[in-house]
Amino acid sequence: MSAVTSIAVGYDGSPDSKSALRWAANLAAQCHARLMALHAVGLLGHARLATKATPHRDEAVRIAMDAGLEEVAFRWMEVDGNPCSALLRLADPATPVDLLVVGSRGGGQHGGSLLGSTSLELVEHAGVPVVVVPALAV
Amino acid sequence: MLIVAGPSGACAHDGGRLHPEQQGRIFSVMDGVRDLNLDDEIEFVTTPKAEVQDLARVHSTKYLTELEAFCNEGGGDLDPDTYARSDSFGAARRAAGAGLEAIAALERRGDGVAFVPVRPPGHHAERDRAMGFCLLNNVAVSAASLTAKGHRVLIVDWDVHHGNGTQAIFWDDPNVLYVSTHQWPLFPGSGRAEEVGGSDALGLTVNIPLPPGATGDVVRCALDEVAQPVIDRFAPDWVLVSCGFDAHRADPLGELALSTGDFADLARLARAYAPRPGRLALFLEGGYNAGALRTSVAATFGALLDQPNDAEARTSGGSGREAVETTRRARDLAIDTLGLASLAAGGQW
Repeated sequence: MSAVTSIAVGYDGSPDSKSALRWAANLAAQCHARLMALHAVGLLGHARLATKATPHRDEAVRIAMDAGLEEVAFRWMEVDGNPCSALLRLADPATPVDLLVVGSRGGGQHGGSLLGSTSLELVEHAGVPVVVVPALAV
Repeated sequence: MLIVAGPSGACAHDGGRLHPEQQGRIFSVMDGVRDLNLDDEIEFVTTPKAEVQDLARVHSTKYLTELEAFCNEGGGDLDPDTYARSDSFGAARRAAGAGLEAIAALERRGDGVAFVPVRPPGHHAERDRAMGFCLLNNVAVSAASLTAKGHRVLIVDWDVHHGNGTQAIFWDDPNVLYVSTHQWPLFPGSGRAEEVGGSDALGLTVNIPLPPGATGDVVRCALDEVAQPVIDRFAPDWVLVSCGFDAHRADPLGELALSTGDFADLARLARAYAPRPGRLALFLEGGYNAGALRTSVAATFGALLDQPNDAEARTSGGSGREAVETTRRARDLAIDTLGLASLAAGGQW
């Protein structure tokens, strides 16, 4: 197995995604890997009509730094799309991401339902390993 | 003759007053239809719910079962954009059924044009996933019903957003040609010119991504220069339109710069793609400015019925003209790279 040099983590500001970011930043620091935090911008987000607060880059940077990652190894990305589709595009073989990390439940998901579960879909369809981090794990 | 196939009463699927995909959209659309004063030239058809076997042509049974159960349990948010309520699965089945009834009405009459003003919209819904306000892919359900009968279907999608769901569903289907003009980059992040279809349908996905500010002349040019040659070779039996009006310059969810006069032009182009009368149906997708929605609907169907109307002037001079040539080159290169250049030149469909 080759070394992990590039990690992508889904981040929407929810408690689970903060845990995922913390876990991924810690791993990236240990592996001397780069970490990309991806925030998917939806239809409502693009039009600034989203009812939930937009996750802030500065908060993501702070979480990553607190977990031991150097700022130079951290990258913030906002991409258009559904969270799952956006992460799957990053996991395409042409994209140099070795590992995807997500929280077990994103901010937009309904508790108790498997429908719309980003983590489940990623596990099913991603071409790279996926780590699903529960909210209270980190 | 205009055939209108939509729910007769209010659609219960309701995400609240602040959500832009709301029942008021249908009121605006129907105001636009009434503005045409069609009298005897309009037929309203009833719209039963689509049967599961119709939906299962384009959605997995696992997804359908989960979505129904989710709604039966009260629903909730499926992602930051998309909601479902207890009555949403029924509403979505009725929306998909409206398309099937519109097709059936056109087949019975043998002429006219059909309009399917329904919600929730459909073109973002994938085989296994709701997204972008969409639960079931209405236009795909109708297209699949036609291909099941041996027809070749052209889907033209001029919503400001790319129809990722429709593209994915027919990615490898040689009997469906999908042509989309859309703003890029924008949600859902798909729809690059290099996305040209799967190995069984290479070249049968035609994406024309346009920059913010693109005007109607650019869209017309793109359809004429990039899409028209492919459409001519494909020779569709039916033309279905994913008819979003959020490419209008007043829409809050996009930044293209079309006018109602541009939609009238696009409608005439779509009619010209159809092999004969009675083979054109337009499905409502996006469109979130009430006034623009009403006037765009009136302009679109006024043009299809050859009515004089006071549509806004066509737009021109916006950004994006260079995007047309870029798109053509990117498509050609993608098809070449995939090793099937002969398909692009020779026609093995």
